[in-house]
Amino acid sequence: MKVGRYNLIFYLKICFPNDYWIQFHPFNSFVSWFGDLEIGLKETMEHGSFTDNSAATFSLTDEDHTIANAVRFTLNQYPRVTFCGYSIPHPSEARVNIRVQTTGDPAREVLKDVCQNLMLMCRHVRCTFDKAVEDFKASNAVKAMKIDSQDSSGDDSEESE
Amino acid sequence: MEGISYQRFPKVKIRELKDDYAKFELRDTDASMANALRRVMISEVPTIAIDLVEIEVNSSVLNDEFIAHRLGLIPLTSERAMSMRFSRDCDACDGDGQCEFCSVEFHLRAKCISDQTLDVTSKDLYSSDHTVVPVDFTDNAGYDSTEPRGIIIVKLRRGQELRLRAIARKGIGKDHAKWSPAATVTFMYEPEIHINEDLMESLTLEEKLSFVESSPTKVFDIDPNTQQVVVVDPEAYTYDDEVLKKAEAMGKPGLVEIYAKEDSFIFTVESTGAIKASQLVLNAIEILKQKLDAVRLSEDTVEADDQFGELGAHMQGG
Repeated sequence: MKVGRYNLIFYLKICFPNDYWIQFHPFNSFVSWFGDLEIGLKETMEHGSFTDNSAATFSLTDEDHTIANAVRFTLNQYPRVTFCGYSIPHPSEARVNIRVQTTGDPAREVLKDVCQNLMLMCRHVRCTFDKAVEDFKASNAVKAMKIDSQDSSGDDSEESE
Repeated sequence: MEGISYQRFPKVKIRELKDDYAKFELRDTDASMANALRRVMISEVPTIAIDLVEIEVNSSVLNDEFIAHRLGLIPLTSERAMSMRFSRDCDACDGDGQCEFCSVEFHLRAKCISDQTLDVTSKDLYSSDHTVVPVDFTDNAGYDSTEPRGIIIVKLRRGQELRLRAIARKGIGKDHAKWSPAATVTFMYEPEIHINEDLMESLTLEEKLSFVESSPTKVFDIDPNTQQVVVVDPEAYTYDDEVLKKAEAMGKPGLVEIYAKEDSFIFTVESTGAIKASQLVLNAIEILKQKLDAVRLSEDTVEADDQFGELGAHMQGG
């Protein structure tokens, strides 16, 4: 059986084109591959158990504290999450392990939900920032016009004198 | 706390906005989001910078790689960067990463023929794409009485020549700092300062003055009309506890109370000029969204699992 699995990996690396990166993991064969997304390939491994999917460790490659901390903080705010933490196994390797334990919901769904919520928040911040920039520019334009009109009226009065 | 929604919607208010400098407030969010935004602004917003230099002639005093290094650090206007492809991902060019979709070509030709030293500056870099040019730093041209100059790359003496061709590509700050669009990005917690008026009454004017002086930055001041200590600029407070120590030294430990509001941040963003400061923040939010999207989508693996099973069966069977 084990020999068969190793052959499988070898077989895949030959026949699939280099663009697709497939990771095979002995416990949970979760496979991720991307087509044309500009950001590149993201490989996530889930270390969990087949019987209980409410607790799992997600190993994300090419990630660091940037999203790991944000995801961890947001997950800790959820009432249905009993435990959430992240660690970086080695600083030279760009890999983050996020551990999620829930009160029964599948850990994968909870992670997807939190990513969704964070994306919603990002979208909101973006809209709010856009609006704030427009408001600022508008209020500055009004101020500039007021200053200009004051200057010009001042000049007129000086000239008339 | 019972009944809080999972979702908090942050608020933004802009304090100052210039081309390369933005100061804004971000409220109703937590430190991890603010830090994520800061980290992405510094290291993961893509810009365009010179990456490959072919030198034809160089008789200057600096050697080839020195000049190539300096060229890489010149900031180029990178509005196009978000829509450009990385050279490694480009399928339009034949693998050398020099097509028009993924790169911009520059050339520089300078020869000193006069007796005066010739300054070769970033203004002598000619681009093949007029939207990607070295950043022009002359916004207060009135102060520089001479013509607008640009970043000096090398100085040439009579007879020395420099001729080169450079390719600029898209990249992120994580790979090399030349691609980082941010000069500095900082955020601080917004302070909340309460002055205990009763205790403040019991001080004499000299004691009040010495209290106001004890802060390294001008946070407090004495109101000339009422002779009271007032907070003149709460954000100048740098979370040094000098005023608190001074209050204790004077024997009045509860004189002022300073809290940092945990969900309110003041961001200061300075850009190198490659991207406008406001555009930098927007791009950072976009990149953060893309990263989260990648994590979310990489979990969709159900179909692939079945495929695998079939393949495995095929292998083991035949």
